[in-house]
Amino acid sequence: MPLQFYLLLAAALFCIGIYGLVMSRNAVRVLMSIELMLNAVNLNLIAFSNFLDRQDIHGQVFTIFVITVAAAEAAVGLAIILSIYRNRDTIDMEAFNLLKW
Amino acid sequence: MDQAIFQVSLHTVLWIPLYTLFGGIASVLWSPACFRRTGPRPAGYLNLLVASLGFTHSLLALGAIWGQPAQQVSFTWLQVADLQLLLPLEYSSQSIGAIAVITGLNILAQLYAVGYLETDWGWARFFASLSLFESGMCALALCNSLFFSYVILEILTLGTYLLIGIWFNQSLVVTGARDAFLTKRVGDLILLMAVVALWPLAGTWHYGELAEWAAQAEVAPHTLTLVGLALMAGPLGKCAQFPLHLWLDEAMEGPLPASILRNAVVVGTGAWVLIKVQPVIALSPIASAAVIGVGAITAIGATLIAIAQIDLKRTLSYSVSAYMGLVFIAIGSGNSQAALVLMLTYTLSMALLVMSTGTLIWSNITQDLTQMGGLWSRRPISGLCFLVGGAGLVGLPPLGGFWSLLTLMDSLWMRHPILVGVVLGVNSLTAFSLMRVFFRVFLGQPGPMTVRSPEVLWPMVLPMTVLGGVVLHLPFLLHRAAIVPALSVVTSPFALLLIWSCLMGGGLAGVIYGRHWAQQPVRLFWPALQDFFAQDLYTAQIYRGTIIWVVQQASRLIDWCDRYFVDGLVNGVGFTTLLSGQALRYNNTGFGQFYILTILIGLSLLMLLVTYPILS
Repeated sequence: MPLQFYLLLAAALFCIGIYGLVMSRNAVRVLMSIELMLNAVNLNLIAFSNFLDRQDIHGQVFTIFVITVAAAEAAVGLAIILSIYRNRDTIDMEAFNLLKW
Repeated sequence: MDQAIFQVSLHTVLWIPLYTLFGGIASVLWSPACFRRTGPRPAGYLNLLVASLGFTHSLLALGAIWGQPAQQVSFTWLQVADLQLLLPLEYSSQSIGAIAVITGLNILAQLYAVGYLETDWGWARFFASLSLFESGMCALALCNSLFFSYVILEILTLGTYLLIGIWFNQSLVVTGARDAFLTKRVGDLILLMAVVALWPLAGTWHYGELAEWAAQAEVAPHTLTLVGLALMAGPLGKCAQFPLHLWLDEAMEGPLPASILRNAVVVGTGAWVLIKVQPVIALSPIASAAVIGVGAITAIGATLIAIAQIDLKRTLSYSVSAYMGLVFIAIGSGNSQAALVLMLTYTLSMALLVMSTGTLIWSNITQDLTQMGGLWSRRPISGLCFLVGGAGLVGLPPLGGFWSLLTLMDSLWMRHPILVGVVLGVNSLTAFSLMRVFFRVFLGQPGPMTVRSPEVLWPMVLPMTVLGGVVLHLPFLLHRAAIVPALSVVTSPFALLLIWSCLMGGGLAGVIYGRHWAQQPVRLFWPALQDFFAQDLYTAQIYRGTIIWVVQQASRLIDWCDRYFVDGLVNGVGFTTLLSGQALRYNNTGFGQFYILTILIGLSLLMLLVTYPILS
C-alpha cells in the first residue's frame, strides 16, 4: 500500500466533507462535515508521519492536537447552533440569510 | 498767433475722438437710473457742446493741414515677442476733412434729435450711443492701420446694435437690431480673416506700407483673390450691399436722428476702409470684378426696391445701398478719388433727405406714403429741403451729385463703358424714386394723416436748413478745392446724359404720380414683380431658407449630439457603475455556505494558477 492511496482516500474524504459542508441544510450536518474534513486531514498527517517521518513522528503529535481542537470546536459549534435554535426555532441553514446585500 | 492756434489744433486733432467719447460716457450720468431729478436733457446739450468743440477743432486743424503734406504719427499699442502693434495715425486734409464732415453732421443730427426726441426720456442712452459713433468714426478717419480700422469697425457694429435697439420694447426693433448686428458681424469676421491673412503676406497693416507692398507684390493669384474677396466682405456688410443688405432696411426701426447718421456716415465707414485697401484689392482682377459686380447689382436692385416701397424711411434706406453700390463701383474700378467725392456729396444730400422726411414723420405720425399727400403748401421748408437733397443726390447740375457722378463716369468710360450705363440707370431710377416720394407726399390731395400738418420745432428745422445751405454751397467748395473738373464740362456728352437721365426719371415719376394718369395706387402690369421688389426680393425669406435654416439645423444637430451622445456617454459611465453595483451586490447572498463555496472556489482557482506550470 503506497502513500498515495492514503492520500487519495484522505482527499476523497475531504471532498465528501466539502460537499456536505456546502450542501447540507441541517446545521448539525454541517458540523459533521467539518468533522469529516478534519479527519481527512488527520489521515494525511498520520500517513505522512508513517511514510516520511518514522523517527520523530511529528505528524502523530499534530494529529493529537487536531483531534483536541476539533473536539473543542465541535463543542463551541454546537453551542452556537443551540443558541441560534433558541432564537429562531430552526437549524435550517437556508433560514440564516439575514446578513445579505 | 493764428498760425500757432492752427498748429496746436493740428497736433491735438487726436483728441477729437477722445473728448467725443468722454462726452458720450458723461451723458450716461443723466440716464433715469442715475440722476433722477434733473431729467435727461442735459445729456443732449452736453453732447451738442462736445460735438461743436470737435467741429471747431477739426476746422482749425483742417486750416492748418490744407495744402500741406500728410503727417504721420504713430503710437505703440502693444509689443509682445516679435509682434509690434503700432497705432499709426494720419493727419491729412482728407482724414481731417472727413472728421469735419462727421462732427459737423453730428452737430446737426444731435440738434435735430433735441427736437425729435422732445417727448422721449431715453436721451442719455441715445446721445451716449451717438457720441460713441462720432468718436469711432473720427478715430476711423484718423487711423491708418487696417488692424485698428477693424477694431473700430467692430466697435461701431456694437454701437449700431445699441442705437437701433434704443426703443427695445418694440419687437421689430429687437429683431432689427439683432439682424443689423449679426449681418454686419459676419462681414466683419470675414474681414478679420483677410486682416490676419495679410500679415504673413505683407508684414504690415499700415495702409501706406500695404500700398507699397501691393505695388510690387509677387503672391499666388489665388491667395490674392481670396484675400481681396475677404477684404471686400467687411465693407460689403457695413455698406449694406447685396446680399448683406437686409439689416439697413430693418435698422430703420431705430430712432430717426440716428438714421440720419447711419444713412449718411456709418454706412460710409465700410467704403472708407475699402478705399484704403483698394491697392490690395486691385492686385486681383477677380476681387476687383467682384467689388464692381456687387456694387452694380446692389445699385440697380436697391433703387428698384426703393421705388416699390411705401415706407418713407425705407425708400431712402435702399437709396443708401444703391449709392454705396456706386461707391463700390468706383473703388472696384480703381477710382478712389471719385469714390471719395461721391461719398462726400452723397453723405450731405442723404442726411438732408432723411432730415426732411423726419420732420414729416414727426408731425404726421405715419410713415406710409399712401397715407400722405398735399403737404407742399403747408410744409414748404421740408419740401424745399427734400428737393434740394434729392437734386444734390442725383446728377442734377449745379449741385454736388452731378459733379461726383460726372467724375465717376469720366473715370469709368475708358475701361468699363457698361458701368457708365449702370450709373446713368441708377441715377435715373433714383430720380424716379425721389420724385415719386415727393409727388406722393407733397403734392396731390392731403391724405388722411396729413390733413393737419404743422411745421415742426426750430431744433429740427434749423439743422435741416443749415444742411440745405451746405448742400447748395457744396459745388463752390468742391471747385474751390479743385476736386472736381471745371465748369466747362457741363456741355460734355456725359453731363448731358446725366441731366437727361435725371429729367427722364423725375419726369416719368411726375407723369405717373403728379398728373394722376395712372390708377392710384399704381399697379404694375405684372403684380408679382411689384411684390417682388416691394418685399425686398424676399430677402428675409431667402435668409431664412438658406443660411438661417442651415445654421439652425446644424445647431439643433449639435445640441442633440451634445445632449444625448456626449452627455450620454459620460452619464453612461456613471450609470454602468451604478448598475454594476446594484447587480453585483447579489453576490452577498447571506448564506454562510455560499461564502464557504466562494472561498473554496477561489482557493482552487489560485491553486490551479500556482500549480499550472507544474501540472502541464
